[in-house]
Amino acid sequence: MDVELQDVHFAYPGGPPVLDGVGLRIPNGRSVALMGPNGSGKTTLARHLDGLLRPTRGRVLLDGRDIAGRRVADLAASVAVGFQDPDRQVFSRRVRDEVAFGPRQLGFSAERRDAAVAAALDATGLADDIDVHPHDLGGARRKLLAIASLLAMQTPVLVLDEPTVGLGAAGVTRVQRIVAQLVAEGRTVIAISHESRFVAESFERVVLLAQGRVVMDGSPADVFAEASWPLVRSAGLEPPAAAILGARLGLGSTPTEAALLASAAAAGRARVP
Amino acid sequence: MLSLRGVSYRYPGAALDSLHDVSLELPGGTITGLLGAPESGLSTVCMVLGGLAPRVIGGTLRGESSIDGQDVRGWPMHRLCESVVLGLGQPAGQLSMVAATVYEEVAFGPANLGLSRSEVMARTEQALEQLAIHDLASRDPGRLSGGQQQLVALAGLLAMRARHLILDEPVAALDAHGRTLALAALAAAAAGGAAVLVATQHSDLVASICSSVALLTGGRVMRQGPPGEVLADPATWALGIAEPAEQRLARLLGDIGDGR
Amino acid sequence: MATVVAVVVLGGVVGPVLVWLLAVLLPAAAARVLPGLLRTSALLALPIAVSAAIVNILFTPGGETVLVELGPLRVTGEGVSVAVEVVVRVLVMAGAVTLYYLATRPAELVASLQAHGFPARTTFVIHNAVAMIPRLAERAGEVTEAQRARGLDSEGSLRRRLRGVTAVAGPTVSGAIGEAETRALALEMRGFTRPGRHTLLWAPVDRGSQRAARWVMVTTVAVLVALRLAGWTAPW
Repeated sequence: MDVELQDVHFAYPGGPPVLDGVGLRIPNGRSVALMGPNGSGKTTLARHLDGLLRPTRGRVLLDGRDIAGRRVADLAASVAVGFQDPDRQVFSRRVRDEVAFGPRQLGFSAERRDAAVAAALDATGLADDIDVHPHDLGGARRKLLAIASLLAMQTPVLVLDEPTVGLGAAGVTRVQRIVAQLVAEGRTVIAISHESRFVAESFERVVLLAQGRVVMDGSPADVFAEASWPLVRSAGLEPPAAAILGARLGLGSTPTEAALLASAAAAGRARVP
Repeated sequence: MLSLRGVSYRYPGAALDSLHDVSLELPGGTITGLLGAPESGLSTVCMVLGGLAPRVIGGTLRGESSIDGQDVRGWPMHRLCESVVLGLGQPAGQLSMVAATVYEEVAFGPANLGLSRSEVMARTEQALEQLAIHDLASRDPGRLSGGQQQLVALAGLLAMRARHLILDEPVAALDAHGRTLALAALAAAAAGGAAVLVATQHSDLVASICSSVALLTGGRVMRQGPPGEVLADPATWALGIAEPAEQRLARLLGDIGDGR
Repeated sequence: MATVVAVVVLGGVVGPVLVWLLAVLLPAAAARVLPGLLRTSALLALPIAVSAAIVNILFTPGGETVLVELGPLRVTGEGVSVAVEVVVRVLVMAGAVTLYYLATRPAELVASLQAHGFPARTTFVIHNAVAMIPRLAERAGEVTEAQRARGLDSEGSLRRRLRGVTAVAGPTVSGAIGEAETRALALEMRGFTRPGRHTLLWAPVDRGSQRAARWVMVTTVAVLVALRLAGWTAPW
């Protein structure tokens, strides 16, 4: 499903503009990371994708159709939007029921629902916690539970808000695998994140927002190239360590570990000065 | 110096202990890191050090807990908070909701200590300056962004000038600039003689400011030592904690150089 | 409080309307919360006022001046006048309650209590209760949004919306409680319940005029109650 924003403007009533003319086109099956400082409008943008917020000017299109006038409940079948704080949505008494909530709202058959729940729990490593009370899960697993609940909705587009915050190393690896799996299945993944390493390793495109506008839109190699560091840093973000190290070794833009190691091996420059 | 010796703790109604035989020493003038994966017991240790466990939340504590050699297990909460302050994880939950402005929010702690008005104001001003949030002084704390709230919460704790500062993930919501300010403020507190503990999942955080790191896993302290040693030990990365990216990359590059 | 009692005691219409003007609308205008007050108190009063009006208009016993006959139901002049009285009273009471809620800020309330020497723990409990109200409302909104994003139908039939209440009520309350718990712990840590003096940054203003106003209200109410008990009814 193609997602497009055309000159989207948004301001809360009586407030300053939060989105100030955002134009973005995300073709089907792509992975895009949204980065930017606090207040740049990332979360607001995410809420426009399923109609929770409506633009004061401009249009949001799914597969070329304007979503204006379509209900959030209907759009949720196409675009699942997550929230940073899992405690905002988790309410069931068992993990199983929590993950089944979305599919239930979307009217899945019992079979499809059970399969979706099982797959989501597997992907997030919560299969053994299926009958546990969400309260008894630690913060990291509750976060994964929130992600599982979105996965189970099996939507063509998935929007995650800071999916790696609070997860340990193992959790981050899981999320990376989930993103890769979704893309392999031809689904579109959009994630808000401030963790450059996660973004560089898992996403093919990075959109940098500042003051309600897109200020940079390209591959991780472009966005984290040394020439862009001043812009990235002015947004309160740090380039990935691999990019910094690669620049120091004169290897060009190496946003990921793999790129760094490959360039280093090719250039025969492996010792860190 | 705040110290725990052989401390085990069980939450009320739990079947098993969450902390097993934990010993930690926090000397004045230092920043100690407590590093662990999620669910390793970081928050529990903080609650025990801060005195909330078991005094306020219940549960059973075994072992010794002392300040400067004095057993503090019998001290009531309000006596303890004159020497120890605890910063809990979520900024929103830290705000008192009693203050109409950031200024009053930061002044809250010192005011509760019954200090003179001028002293309260002096401490408040200094904390606001240190974290560069003076321009937020008249704002409503409830209406700030997560990062701003975290800075305000930290300012509120610093203003209390306690001899022991226990912080659970103090920089999680901050951007690079806020982080620099926060870490400088912690260094200043330590330089002023405070004993600071930073509990975190992020190894790069402890690498940058701690003079000593304790590794926590499954409610036990695996080892404690200088960051250089603890973070260089491969066993650390087997505990579910992420190795600092620079360190990992340098290591891998070194491997290539050595033909591995 | 005084307003509410006064209104109950005063019969008729003009009395309560005067009270409304003096004790509710005027202070509200002074505190600059008039539009909010009118809106909120109207919402609060509406269901009660409407049902009370209907009951009284149609079912007041002993009505003699029949205005309209709707089959077995009779609308009487007396009924209408009683209805008007009741509606006015309800409006005034709703107004008084709303005024209190709108004009008092948790910070001032707490500072006031501390200044008057209330024990720390009591202040603590009161504060928590008061601070929780706006947070609950805010949180309910946040939770509803998150659930809608998962397909919760908040724009559909009433039955579907009712089923959605659990999905929102649960996390709203448990989250708010969780947050309140964390807040309570944080407050303890910052000495909120420390016995002994707590410094006040600014003394809550208790000007002579406010104290005088309090006295006037209390005396007026006492007088009205006494008169009523003595069988006096207002001539209007």
